[in-house]
Amino acid sequence: MAGGLAEVEPEINAPIAVASMTGRRERREGGDSTERVNQLEVIVRYALYIVITLFLFVPFVMTVLSSFKTSAEVIAFPPTFLPSVWHPENYLSVLTQINGFPRMVFNSFFVTLVVVALNLFFDSLVGYAFARLEFPFKKTLFAIMIATMVIPGFVFIVPRYIMLLNAHVVDTYFAFMVLYFVQPAYILLMTQFFKSIPRDLEEAAIVDGMGWFGIFWKIILPLARPALLATGILTFAGMWNNFLDWIIYMQSPNMQNIQLGLATFRGAYQNQWNLIMAGAVLAILPILIVYIAGQRYFVRGIATTGMK
Amino acid sequence: MAVSVAPQAPAATAKGTRRSKRGGMAIAERRAGLLFVAPYLAFFLILQLAALVFAFWVSFHHYDLLALDNPFVGLRNYARLTINEDFLIAMRNTTEYAIVVVILQTVFALLLAVLLDSKIKGRNFFRSTWYTPSIASSVVISMIFLYVYHPTGLLNSILGLVGIHTTEAYLQSTTWALPAIMFLNIWTTAPTFMLMFLAALQDIPKEIYEASSVDGASAARRLFSITIPLLRPIIFLVVSLGIIGCFQIFDQAFIMTHGGPLKATLTVALLIYQNLFNDTGTVGVACAEAIVLGVIIFALTLISRRVIDTKIEY
Repeated sequence: MAGGLAEVEPEINAPIAVASMTGRRERREGGDSTERVNQLEVIVRYALYIVITLFLFVPFVMTVLSSFKTSAEVIAFPPTFLPSVWHPENYLSVLTQINGFPRMVFNSFFVTLVVVALNLFFDSLVGYAFARLEFPFKKTLFAIMIATMVIPGFVFIVPRYIMLLNAHVVDTYFAFMVLYFVQPAYILLMTQFFKSIPRDLEEAAIVDGMGWFGIFWKIILPLARPALLATGILTFAGMWNNFLDWIIYMQSPNMQNIQLGLATFRGAYQNQWNLIMAGAVLAILPILIVYIAGQRYFVRGIATTGMK
Repeated sequence: MAVSVAPQAPAATAKGTRRSKRGGMAIAERRAGLLFVAPYLAFFLILQLAALVFAFWVSFHHYDLLALDNPFVGLRNYARLTINEDFLIAMRNTTEYAIVVVILQTVFALLLAVLLDSKIKGRNFFRSTWYTPSIASSVVISMIFLYVYHPTGLLNSILGLVGIHTTEAYLQSTTWALPAIMFLNIWTTAPTFMLMFLAALQDIPKEIYEASSVDGASAARRLFSITIPLLRPIIFLVVSLGIIGCFQIFDQAFIMTHGGPLKATLTVALLIYQNLFNDTGTVGVACAEAIVLGVIIFALTLISRRVIDTKIEY
């Protein structure tokens, strides 16, 4: 897994020209003793980096390895590192033993992809209006959007639940489409992006008499690829990993996503450690792929919105 | 009519130019603008504004999802919170949790970002691997840490390697359960904030460091007298996002301990959920709890802004 991540790395932007402190001191003072100190510093630094890497990454490695063990071996004492016998069939057991697993995978993908599509369209449409068009109450509305972003989600849970209950969309896919068809954080991201592109192209289109939607759809959106990718990837991550909304708005067993399904399975079969671990690996896999493929945009999006 | 140039004085800004060129088309622009923001306006009016007003309304009523009549009770739901033992326990747990997690995850994230903000070889590899805890879902992380905290799980195995032999069941211990969840969340959230700090660090002009380096300032001195003051806005952002997130801690407590043992990990969010679904007729209480929680979060965010903004003037 680690190797995979490393290979994608060269893609990363990184115009980081932070001249290292050590390098500068070397230049200024020169001499053997300083160089030895620097070497020592580098070694200490790398040791620290490796310790942190182990600290943050080893639980994942152990999870993957555990998913190939027997459930007894996962929590055996004394512990084993590699499985004494590899059991890839654990992954097949997940499909057969976790009730309705294929349906959960479908639910996760379906809701995630629909919400991503809705946000790509609506967040950019609203963002474009905020960035470029003049209309009444624009500044007020934009200020409201920023201000309401800090309202904690739990305040909305009860009223939204009752509203959706009365609208008969609880326990249906529509619940997610209603709750997440726009997300202010990504409208903000799109607005900021649109403000950064030059107006020349639009000016020409305006002179040609093109309508505003045409300008948005044919001229602006194709330019917005990086921001759309950031919005899409972050929305994908948020929806794929969502647990809270599924447990609140979905009630029937066949309306679980993979996260809720995994938590439910663990609640029922506390000792099936190998299957729990295999399920965890399967639940993280799609998001890991999206993360590796779109890392550049993922990183930038988080840096601008503070969302994950 | 669209293209006819209005004989007005040419405006200086691009916007002005376009306006005068387009003349009457400003109406079309206004119409398009309103149409384009309509989705957000609908979201705001129904799912934010109406929901918020409704939340207050419910909190003033004895609300039962199954009842036809929900009598007005004034502030009783709020008054009861002050003597409700569960709420007080949950509030204490949540506050304790938030204080520890916000401080430690911010410090840890800053440390990670400072370490990555250098020319070291393999920097991108380290960044990717360090970030991994942040991409996993709360459920996946909970599953992993159920295994980590198992009496013969990863943590005790590692402790055994260094000579500390224990079979402590952390999640079944009233002493350890809450700290265990704190640790897990610092571990997951710090890498997200690391990315935000890293982006901000890369925006600091390098000349500032050059100058201080000539002055002979030590690395630690540079960190505290240059980096941290310059990062103040982003520190504020990280602390507020931390406060907002931590006070709403739900998933991990729900999945791993269900608030136990003996309510040691009962959080306000968990209590809101229980009052909404587990009991009948406590929906109004759930709303009151959520509003109190919201007000606390809001107040703390304001306070943290004040503290961080006015702290240092070098």
